[in-house]
Amino acid sequence: MSHDHDHAHHAPIEAADEVSEFDVLETAIRELAIEKGLFSREDHRRFTEWAERIGPHGGARMVARAWLDPEFKRRLLADGTETSKEVGINWLDPTGTGTPSDNTYFYVLENTPAVHNVIVCTLCSCYPRPVLGQAPEWYKTPHYRRRVVRWPREVLAEFGLHVPLDVEVRVHDSNQKSRFMVLPMRPEGTEGWTEDQLAAIVTRDTMIGVALPRAGWTGDRSPAATPRA
Amino acid sequence: MSMSIDDQRYPVLMATLRRADPAPPEPDRTPAPWEANLQATCECLSWRGTLDTLERRHAEDTLGATTYADFPAHARAAVVTAHALLEQGEISERELETKMNDVRARFQQA
Repeated sequence: MSHDHDHAHHAPIEAADEVSEFDVLETAIRELAIEKGLFSREDHRRFTEWAERIGPHGGARMVARAWLDPEFKRRLLADGTETSKEVGINWLDPTGTGTPSDNTYFYVLENTPAVHNVIVCTLCSCYPRPVLGQAPEWYKTPHYRRRVVRWPREVLAEFGLHVPLDVEVRVHDSNQKSRFMVLPMRPEGTEGWTEDQLAAIVTRDTMIGVALPRAGWTGDRSPAATPRA
Repeated sequence: MSMSIDDQRYPVLMATLRRADPAPPEPDRTPAPWEANLQATCECLSWRGTLDTLERRHAEDTLGATTYADFPAHARAAVVTAHALLEQGEISERELETKMNDVRARFQQA
């Protein structure tokens, strides 16, 4: 591939063209709120820093450990909130700033050959952020939230996940005090793998329940760089 | 905290749609940086007790189907948050308009 692209095409940003009216509105809201003492600049900076740092790594670590350690799995299913601390996630104080919406109970839902779990928040977009990071945009859409509780098999099929008819699909509705995460089944082809190897294939969507982990897919490369699924 | 948000129309907010550039369809677009800033603003407002996150999400659904139905879905959190702060009297329309003019002028400086 040639890399002799013409840098003249990268013209300096024309300021006026780059100003979004919603960007202006957001900035105005934030600055007015800070000026009026509704929160501080430090509050805002902390949240932004935290939100951009977290990802699905904590959840993936828990799933991988549960696949390898039956006693950890037992504890995780019995008390997800407490057992999260074993991978460094404290649900009672996940941000260090005491977000009320995060003072919640965390439940881990085990997939089995007879049961497939999927999570949603029909009220708004409650999501297990401390273990999965920011919610995907589609998770927040009214049509996902409304439809997955009514037609879960059809919605899962739209993600490419066809659940056999003899497998029960359970939809778990989050709320301000209850957050859920799916513990998927360990896939074939992962015998003898380490915890790190296993954690790498546990992607965000597999813990929401709209996908299944695969031995050949880690989610950290572009799909375009991998063989067609 | 209980909050009732009606469908009053605030000219300062409705004008943002008239001035907004056309956006690509929602599934094809990449979130803009201001959306992450707004998320943190909403978190801070909820944390400090001004605007509860759950109440705001309900208002987004309600006003998103009425007053702000013509707005792109990704922008509704911004206009609804402003709407709620106006309705609660935390900020005034005049303050918001003045601040937006200041911000716009600042951002447009070469």
